Parts: sequence; structure tokens; C-alpha cells
Amino acid sequence: MVLGFWLVGEGVVRLLSLPFPGGLVGLLLLLGLLASGRLRLARVERGAAFLLSDMLLFFVPAALAVLDHREFLSLTGVKILAVILLSTATVMIATALAIDLCYRWMSRHESRNERSPEHGSAAAE
Amino acid sequence: MNLGMNVALSMEALLRSDPLVGAAFWSAATVGFYLLAKAVYRRWPRWWLLPLGSTPALLIIAVLLLDTSYSEYIRGTHWLVALLGPAVVAFAVPIYQRRALIRRHWPLLAFGMVVGSATAVASSWGFATLLGLDGALRLSLLPRSISTPFAMTVSSEIGGIPDLTAVFVVMTGVLGAVLGEVVLAWLPLRSTIARGSLFGMGAHGAGTARAYEVGAEEGAIAGLVMVLVGLLNVLLAPLMVIAFARLG
Repeated sequence: MVLGFWLVGEGVVRLLSLPFPGGLVGLLLLLGLLASGRLRLARVERGAAFLLSDMLLFFVPAALAVLDHREFLSLTGVKILAVILLSTATVMIATALAIDLCYRWMSRHESRNERSPEHGSAAAE
Repeated sequence: MNLGMNVALSMEALLRSDPLVGAAFWSAATVGFYLLAKAVYRRWPRWWLLPLGSTPALLIIAVLLLDTSYSEYIRGTHWLVALLGPAVVAFAVPIYQRRALIRRHWPLLAFGMVVGSATAVASSWGFATLLGLDGALRLSLLPRSISTPFAMTVSSEIGGIPDLTAVFVVMTGVLGAVLGEVVLAWLPLRSTIARGSLFGMGAHGAGTARAYEVGAEEGAIAGLVMVLVGLLNVLLAPLMVIAFARLG
């Protein structure tokens, strides 16, 4: 199962040298096969679960690139930290507010038009 | 004290003697520290013990102690980074599994992701400029909110430094997982979609893990948003290139 999945992924990555990253093409292909029913989910589920649950391990080596950038120990590092903190907070607040306001607007709209309780309750707590 | 120094010195010599020995050692150390960090986090789930942060921290200490350079380290562990390719493909499975959720809430999810991505890029650019950071460093900060394999792809496409972006992604994940809870306590959010999305949008994998602690549905939504936003950003990267070429 795991091996079959692996080959699908790697094969596609190697074969197609499109302007997109190979992994993306593989993802779309696999999604297409799953959606069309050509491939049963059970066959790739375990391999995918393994890759995804330990994905963290795969980019740990890349994160050590910080060793080549000692300038981060100076003021630049503090600035970068500030940018990350401020920007992440902004992104979270903007995303959550946008969705929540939109959601409230939609559920008000819906209840006025059709009064369907299942729609509202499914997404609410 | 002296004994420790001697051990370190002789290990250094051993690692230098044969590139294969070095590669095997650093690969084993990376996997070993990762498993250790995971076990520790399972026992004590504190934010500062997140494996995302503690694994690189332990490795950096080891690399510095053994006086190894980053290029020596990455030569031996590059195959781990290469596994990110198949990991991207593997995201097809969670997307497929949550197709019902996507079908039901796609307008909300799509809206949130567009707002979130635009805010992420604009605010990173804005704050970086404000603090006087520019060039490749500023570009490397832009794709920080999305999951690493996607972020590194976007970074190299828009002219950033993928390795640096990986560092920023890790920092964003650790800080964002904590920040998300503060935001959650602050904002009166009614829908689970909003609560899940803020984690998936702002802090990718680490945020998703955190969202699962808030609730199962929040976690599922966070995971989904993380994947879809990654895809969206990779597809939009060529547009960003044009936009930033104009901005200079």
C-alpha cells in the first residue's frame, strides 16, 4: 500500500517537469484518481498518514540553515521576530473576523429566507 | 569536563574521516532527536516543547558542539528534505476525506483563504519595510504562513531564499500556535470554521495540531485550510512575482 502510493508520487514528480513543483502535479493526479473512483482510498491512506504525520522531520534539516546566518543573532533577528509576530497576529485576526462576519451574515440571510435549522447548527458549535 | 572535550574531538575526527559516516551520523541524529522531542511533547504538552521548535534547537546545539558547518550537515540529511515532495502528494488524501466539508462550506473557506493570504503577504511586506528589512530577506518572509513544502516552492519562485523561508516557517509555527490561542480568547467567534481557519491560515501544521486540541472539527478545518492555502499560494506565486517586480 505504502509502496504503491510512493511510486505514484515519485513517478509523477520525475516524469513531469512542468513549471509547477512536481509534488503539486502528483497531488492533483492522486486527487483525480480518488475522486473518479479509480483508486480506493484504503490503498494510499496509510502511506499518506505516515508521510503527513512525520512531515515535520522532513524540513528540520532545512531549518538549520539559520546556522549560516549568524546575523540573525543581532538586531536583524529581533526585527524578523517582530515581523513574524505582528504579521501572524494580523493574519489570524483578519481571517477569523472575515469568516465569522460572513458566516453571521449568511446565517441571518438564510434564516430569513428558508428557516432551515440544519444549515446553521452544522457549522455553529 | 576534559573527558567530554576529548570525546567531542575524537567524534569530530571520525565524522570528518568519511562523508558516509558523517551522513549516517547526522541522519540518525536528526531522526533520533525528532523522536525524542515527540516523546517529550507527548508527555509534557507545553508550547515551548513543540517538536517543531525543540528538534531544530537540539540539532543546532549538537552541530555547534561538534563544530560542523551547515553545508556538512545538509549534505548528509538532504534526502530527508527530498521527502517533502511525496509529502505534498500525500495531502491529496486529507483533501479527499474532507470533500463533504469543502462542498458544504466552500464559499466561506474560499473567502477566508483569499483574505488570509492577501493579509499574510501584505502585512509581512508592510511590517518588514517598516522595520527596514528588504531584498531577498523580505521576500523570504512573505510565504511564511503556509506549510513548508509549499512555502519553499513559493519562496524560490518569487526570489526569496527557500532555506531562510523554512526557518521563518518554523518560527511562525511555534509562535502562531501560541498566538492563536490568545486571539481565540480575545475574539468572540461564533463559527467553528472561523476558529479552525485562523490556526490553519496563520500557523500551518503547528497551528493545526493546536486546533485539534480546541476541537475535532476545528482541527479538521485547520488542516484543510492549511493544505488549500498552500496550493493557492503556489498557484498564485507567478502573480506575486509580477506584483513585487513592480513594487521593487
